[in-house]
Amino acid sequence: MSGVVVTPGLRAGFGRRAGRQAIEWIPAAVVFCLGIAVWEGAIWAFHIKQFLLPKPSDIVSSLWSDGGTLWPAGWTTFKEALGGFAGGSAAGIVVATAIGRFRALGGVLMPLAIAANAVPIIAFAPIFNAWFDPLAPGSKMAIAGVLCFFPVLVNTLRGLQSVSPRQIELMRSYAAGELTIWRRVRVPTALPYVFTSLKVASVLAMIGAIVGEYFGGSFNALGVLIRSDAQILDFQTAWAGILVASLLGLALYAAVVVAERLTIRWAPASRDP
Amino acid sequence: MRKRWIVGVLVAAAVAAAAVAGVATRASAAPKLTNITLQLKWVPQAQFAGYYAASLKGFYKDEGLNVTLKNGGPDIIPEQVVASNQAQFGVDWLPSLLAARDKGTDLVNVAQVFARSGMTQLTWKSSGITTVAKMRGKKVANWLGGNQYELFAALTKFGMDPEKNKGVTIVQQPFDMNLFLQHKVDSASAMTYNELAQVLESKNPKTGKLFTLADLNVIKMQDVGTGMLEDGLFSTASWLKDPANQAIAVKFIAASLKGWIYCRDHVAECVSMTLQEGPTLPKGHQTWQMNEINKLIWPNAAGIGVMNKADYARTAKIAQQYGAIKKAPTAGAYRTDLATKAVALLKKQGVDVNGKSYKPITVKLTAGGK
Repeated sequence: MSGVVVTPGLRAGFGRRAGRQAIEWIPAAVVFCLGIAVWEGAIWAFHIKQFLLPKPSDIVSSLWSDGGTLWPAGWTTFKEALGGFAGGSAAGIVVATAIGRFRALGGVLMPLAIAANAVPIIAFAPIFNAWFDPLAPGSKMAIAGVLCFFPVLVNTLRGLQSVSPRQIELMRSYAAGELTIWRRVRVPTALPYVFTSLKVASVLAMIGAIVGEYFGGSFNALGVLIRSDAQILDFQTAWAGILVASLLGLALYAAVVVAERLTIRWAPASRDP
Repeated sequence: MRKRWIVGVLVAAAVAAAAVAGVATRASAAPKLTNITLQLKWVPQAQFAGYYAASLKGFYKDEGLNVTLKNGGPDIIPEQVVASNQAQFGVDWLPSLLAARDKGTDLVNVAQVFARSGMTQLTWKSSGITTVAKMRGKKVANWLGGNQYELFAALTKFGMDPEKNKGVTIVQQPFDMNLFLQHKVDSASAMTYNELAQVLESKNPKTGKLFTLADLNVIKMQDVGTGMLEDGLFSTASWLKDPANQAIAVKFIAASLKGWIYCRDHVAECVSMTLQEGPTLPKGHQTWQMNEINKLIWPNAAGIGVMNKADYARTAKIAQQYGAIKKAPTAGAYRTDLATKAVALLKKQGVDVNGKSYKPITVKLTAGGK
């Protein structure tokens, strides 16, 4: 019932907050536009050749004219990134939960996880293409998944371990069982940490998918297209492909932010952009 | 620690002194040579044997040139190297050159060395894919990055849309034939002089013997009608504006062509010159390659290096039809005057520039191309 009472107030607050945020965003938008103007102006002023650096306006027009190829390719790559993001993050959360529950496991798994994280992912890419079918999305998902796994693991673990002992003592005094403590105290405390790591992972997933595609894959994928276009000096289209990749990466990031706001309304930190 | 530091400085000084001395002696030994850089399309292999021969047999030196041959590789784009003045000349396929011109560079083809296309699509005999039309719905591999136009044109000719992956699945092919050998793709691109041999140098796991041409369907783009002109020499219009540079270009082209003529008549010697450059694949493979490259050049009725107008027009038409270039190429895309002068120069020296009686040799491949 209380939710019904709160909702209208929240909406009004949301509107005001959106207005305030719009004002906060103005400086960033101005700097962005200035940057684009300087880019475009520099090419015009210094006669920078098109095959070295295309004009932003040309990139946007290329995004428009080659959209029929770029967006479907982006969608292929996005699905790979999404698969890797889901798999890698889920694995990270599961392992972190296990380590959080059984300390001894942490001693075994953490050094291994750190060692795995230290391997540059680009070195994994050709190997994954050999392990999995390079033409199936699985090989790219695996790379994206490995990239996502570590930050989610570390942050989730940190979150689960940052519960104040007093809260646990309090719960115990209420005769709460381990499962209840986990659900009522540990998980809510860990969630802000988890979401922070998911935000990091959302961007990494897109990088992982594209890196995987650089080492082979079907033609209708962003990584393959960008590489191929760059080799025929079609940097305009290559840049448009990069733009598509960034937009899709941002979309995934935004989706995580929205999920975070819907899930943890109590944590003030989640309101920061 | 301090001692080590001093040793380090001494070593560095010695190296620097040696380098200065080396440069000085080289400069004093050959004071009149003009420095020219040629950017090759790919890693060292017999595909560039003519240039190695011109360099090692002293043909460049005879023309007063000191030519540096720069090796290529997967991420080196000869057009970009030449367009940004890091080399005066480059070797690449004509459609790539046209694509680079389309992007605003002022590159010009000055000599079309290869007169025929060496591009093929391989399929396994057991697959029954004997024509391009039968590739519908199959996984077809190509290296992309400017090497796809002949294949894409052929697929489009038979109603598929490779750019949009409609009717056929295009796969990026790595620089080995493993995808094809492991049957992960139905068809793979292969140059007659390189990848085809790589397959024929591999063992059939079922029989333990090398694969033979009887195991394969070799679909030549030349026969499908979408063959395009491949390796040619190019420079920039701005560099060629100066008549002095034009004269240098004629000498450079003549010496390069002389290298190719030498390799037509001295296959074994050109293979060993190629081996000196440190290719990835061994002698047997390079011998096959040298022979196949010769087949793409010889015979040449107009004289080696002189652009055939009809072949140029076909290449340009295919390039435009299949999206390599957006607008029809302008007239300045190639010039034949320099190559014609070079050929005349060679004729005066009594060199056979047509190879009318050219006969390829037979090369037997061995495991791993040894």
